[in-house]
Parts: sequence; C-alpha cells; structure tokens
Amino acid sequence: MLRVDIAKKLGEFSLEASFTSEGRVTGLFGASGAGKTSLVGMIAGLLRPDRGVIALDDEILDDTDKAVHVPPHRRRIGYVFQDARLFPHMNVAQNLDYGRRMNRLPDDGAQKERVSDLLDIGHLLDRRPGKLSGGERQRVALGRALLSKPRLLLLDEPLGSLDEGRKVEILPYLVRLRDEANVPMVYVSHDAAEMRQLATQIVMLRNGRVTALGGVKVLSGTTA
Amino acid sequence: MNRLAGIFVALFALAGATLPAAAQEKIITVFAAASVKNALDDIDAAYTAKTGVKITVSYGPSSGLAKQIEQGAPADVFISADTDWMDYAISKKNINESSRLNLLGNTVVLIAPKDSKVENVNIAPGFDLAKLAGDGKIATGDVKSVPIGKYAKAALEKLGSWQAAEPKFAMADNVRAALTLVARSEAALGIVYSTDARIEPGVKVVGTFPADSHPAIIYPFAATITAKAETADYLAFLRSTAAKNIFEKYGFKFLLSPTT
Amino acid sequence: MSEITSAEWTAILLSLRVAVIATLVATPFGIALAWLLARYNFWGKSALDALVHLPLVLPPVVTGYLLLLALGRRGLVGAWLADNLGIVFAFRWTGAALACGVMSFPLLVRPIRLSIEAIDRRLEQAASTLGAAPWKVFATITLPLALPGILAGMVLGFAKAIGEFGATITFVSNIPGETQVISSAIYSLIQTPDGDAAAARLVIISVVIATAALIGSEWFARRATQRLHGN
Repeated sequence: MLRVDIAKKLGEFSLEASFTSEGRVTGLFGASGAGKTSLVGMIAGLLRPDRGVIALDDEILDDTDKAVHVPPHRRRIGYVFQDARLFPHMNVAQNLDYGRRMNRLPDDGAQKERVSDLLDIGHLLDRRPGKLSGGERQRVALGRALLSKPRLLLLDEPLGSLDEGRKVEILPYLVRLRDEANVPMVYVSHDAAEMRQLATQIVMLRNGRVTALGGVKVLSGTTA
Repeated sequence: MNRLAGIFVALFALAGATLPAAAQEKIITVFAAASVKNALDDIDAAYTAKTGVKITVSYGPSSGLAKQIEQGAPADVFISADTDWMDYAISKKNINESSRLNLLGNTVVLIAPKDSKVENVNIAPGFDLAKLAGDGKIATGDVKSVPIGKYAKAALEKLGSWQAAEPKFAMADNVRAALTLVARSEAALGIVYSTDARIEPGVKVVGTFPADSHPAIIYPFAATITAKAETADYLAFLRSTAAKNIFEKYGFKFLLSPTT
Repeated sequence: MSEITSAEWTAILLSLRVAVIATLVATPFGIALAWLLARYNFWGKSALDALVHLPLVLPPVVTGYLLLLALGRRGLVGAWLADNLGIVFAFRWTGAALACGVMSFPLLVRPIRLSIEAIDRRLEQAASTLGAAPWKVFATITLPLALPGILAGMVLGFAKAIGEFGATITFVSNIPGETQVISSAIYSLIQTPDGDAAAARLVIISVVIATAALIGSEWFARRATQRLHGN
C-alpha cells in the first residue's frame, strides 16, 4: 500500500498531492503538465519532495521532517519510462537480467519464462535495443522492470510514444500484467480510455492538485 | 567493463616484458663530456670485452652533466672537459675527491666545412674572426657554460677578436652539435677541439688557437660519491696503457703516466 | 637501410614501456577528473580545469623543470619520497613515465569528459530504479557508454607520451637504457656527425608506432560506438 502526502515547487507551479493507493492499479490521470511525472519521480526516489511523507507498506521512503530519503536503488520500486530507456550496450537478455543482478537476486528461470511469455519477448533475447521496434522496446522495458522483482511498479505513460496500432497491440499485455503479475502498479496517463481498461482506482491531477479520488467512475464525463 | 580490465592487464604485462633483464648485469654509468665520445666508446668496448662489465655513457656538455649529477642523476663516473665543472661538482659534494684524475689535455681549433674557401688562418692577436665568417655563423658550445665555448671566448678575448665576432656566434648544446653544424655547412666556421675535427670528414681544420690564449685544457675524471664498487677498477683501466694508446690515437694528450 | 642497432632497440623498448605505463597509470585519474568536471559544479572548478590543461600551454621544458623542483632528489616532495620510501623519479624511467603522463593528461581528460557529458543521464536513472547503487551505475552504465571517449583519450595520450621530449629531457635527461626514449635518442643522433642513418630509422619507427596506435584506436572506437547505438 502506497501512501503519498507531499508538496513540491516545480518552477512556476507547485504540486501538492495526498492520497493512499489501494488495489491493483492506481491510475494517475491528468493533462500534460499537471505534475504526474514529477509525482511518480518522487515515488521512485529520483526527485525529492520539498515537504511531506512517502511510505510504501509501512516503510518510510521520504520524510522531510526527519530528513529521511531512501535512494532509488534501495526502494525496490520498478519504473517503466515513456521512452523505454533500454541500455544500448546490452542485448535484450542482458537488459532483462539487469535488475536481478543489481538486486543480487538468485537466478529464477521459471520467472524469466513466465515474463517472456507474458510479454511475448522470448524471440527477441539476442537482439540489441537498436534493432527493436517501438512496441518491442516497450515490452522489453516492462519485462526488465518486472524481473527486478519490485514491490511496486510505476508506469509513466508507457504507451505515450506509440502509434494507435502499437497501443492497441500492447494494451492487452498491460491488462495481463495487472491480472497475472501480482505486483501493484501506479499507472500514469492522460488517456481516459486506457485508464478505464486498466485502473482500479483513479487519482485525478490538475495543475498540481488532486481534484478527484475514487473508482473508475470518476472518469465519467472526461473525454479522450 | 571486464573487457577494459583485460586490455589493461595485457598492456601492463607488455610493459613489464620490455623491462631489460639488465638487473642482473653489472653496469657502470658514465656522464662524459661530448668530446671524448669516440675514444671512450672504443675504450669501453675494450673494457667490457675484458671484464664483462657494461658501460652506459650519457654524453653531453660538462655543464649540463654536472647539474644533473647535482640533481641526483645516477652517474658513477663524471668526465668533465674543464676543471671548473669538476670543481663545481665537488663543491656540491657529489664527487669522491680522492678518485680524481686530471687525465687528458686537448687543443682548440678553428674549423670550416670541407669545401669552404677559407684556408690556413693565422690565429694571432688581432685576427679578424668576424670578417672571416662573412655572412655566416660561427658555431661553438654555449660560451657561458659549455667548456669549449668558455675556452673559445677566453681565447678570442685575449686575441682581441671577441667583440666583433660575438653577434655571429651560433651557440650549440655541446661541442659535437657545433661540429655537426659545420659539417652540414650550416655554419661557416666553428670552434671545437682538435680531437673532434679529426673524426669528422666533413670539416677541415683551418687554424689552431695558441695554447697560451686560453686556460689550460684539462679533462678531470672522477668517481661520484654514489659510485658502485666496480667503478674503481674501471677508473684504473682508464689510466692504463691500453686506454692511453686509444686516447692518443684520437689526438688527446695523456697528462698522467699510466699505472698499468 | 641497415639493421636496427641494440642502442636503438633499447630506446624503442624504453619508449614503449614509458608510454604504456604513463597511459595506463594516468587513465584512472583521467576518468576520475573527467567525471568530476563533467558532473559536478563546485567552488574552484575553473581553477581545477585550468590546472588540468596547464601542461598543454606551458612550455614543456617549464613543466619538466617544475617536476624537477618538486620531485627531484632534492625537490620538495622528491626528497621525502627518496628518504622515506626509497622512491626516486628523477633520472629514472619512472620519472620519464611521470613526465609523459603529466604532459599527456590534458589530451586524455578532454575526450573522456566529452564522452561522459554526452551520456543520457536518464539511462543512469533507469539503472538506479533497477537496484543499481551509484558506483554500480558508474561501472555498468556510465563507463561502458563512455568507452569510445576513454579509448580515444588513451590513444591521444599514448601518442603524446611516445613523442614527449621537452619535459622528459629536462626532468630525467638522456641516459641510454634508462631515460633515453626515441625522441631523445633522435635528438642526440642528429647532433652526432654520423648519426643521420640511425636517426632516420628511429623516425620511421616513430611514425609506424603512431600510425598503428591511431588505426587500432579507430577500430576500437568504431566497435564501441556500434555497441552504443544498440547494434
């Protein structure tokens, strides 16, 4: 369970958010520039709040009053970036294995197979990121984050850089992920349709403030 | 990352492999005035053939060598082309004074390129060196520090030719560099030792400086205070008849009587 | 062209040893400095940057002389090193390596720094979310991606080290077998009446070594760049 209660000044505008995530997929919904990526950056530990607390399953990750900040590499929070960010000097198999090695987890062949099947990337293992299509890259990025066995998975507009055809192709994988991967997710998007399919809870963000919090019905009345 | 480490290890190994096995060999390091080069090379070859001890020589101007020894250069023997620089090294407490031998003498000559029109110059008070050089340069060692340059300037001052000739001087690092300048016709004239002129077919001697026009030319030989034990035997060899014969063959004057 | 003499071989092997050691020892420092200058802003940064580039603009003989003052047997630091640790640089091949390392340092740091600056920091962020501690990010992401720059710097540094003359001859002079590197050997030979043939041989060898180093580095750099682009 993720608990967020923070404030941060970002250039011209300020972000204030307070919510608790429940359930499988917490959707962070809002227009571009609403502060979603910064918020998710703070959950990952890549950014620090000016004020407030972030906690995951009763472990305090950030507490500005007590000057506590757990660095990203110790949070066990996976992050799927909008631009995949696969390591160009490693092939797909090495990218996938990176998180396991860094976290010093034992080799888990069964899990590797499960994730490969789930995301349909088994045939790509020897390829280099430069030789993958946009959709393939995104799936590998998903697999890489999953195989680091995170407690929480952050996905920042993972479909944002893909065309309509690719999106339609990948969305089912995300649904499968939600249903079979057994890891809570925070899913960022400005696309209501995606949200309706994936999210179990919505946090609506507008101009740096949480304007609505609740189930998917909160999205009714929003277009796109 | 492992690749990079591998490359590093390979290169270090390569570098280590180029280390000379000379650690086991005995080597004596000599810092010698450039003018004794050919003679000393022959003598060293004879010594190595006789004893198996290798001699490494760093030839250069006595001035530069004395300063390097002062700075801690690892020389076992110092051979200077004048007494000033040996005295300097002694004053800096680098020399084993009891080992000093004022061993060789030499003559200062005026040379020109082999095909130069200059011939038979009478070097006497009033001789006009500047006119002789014409538009060309006069090569010698740096008159402020290198022995041959100091002898040259002293002689020219005594003869009254220095002032006019001074602007035409090309100061070289050491006497052999000056010799090479003349041999290549880069300089119209040069002032070197007679022993240098003898070994260079590209130059001819056109005049000899009278011995009383400059301080006596004495080459002191001595061991440094950091000299290896083998050095004593080497110095003794330099004073032997065998060495004397070689030095005299090249035109040096042997100032002491040989001990063996 | 006649045979290469033993004296010439000595100079060649010595040059190789000096240049290789100088480059290898300088590289970790070069990477560290490049990293510092690329990633951090701190008080005195421009001064540090200037210091790193000083050997590039100072007359080489001045650099050699400064080394002598500092690290000679009677130098500020040199005396202490010699008396307490038995380490002597002046007039030793280690001093030649030091002089070459110092002179080639600016050429080493520049390409590495540019390479590090060009690395997409977002990749480093991704690595940390995957559990990589900062030093691991450096070792598994930053360093491999900076490799073309590191290799380019090393080759430039090596070429400079092998050709270094002014600082070397001032700091460690010209002792055959110990500090007479190729450039000093050529310098002595061209001053000797019959040294031209030997000098020519050494000149040709210098050109061959430099060309081989350049070709080798091109090959390495191209391969490394291919990997960078995910090919």
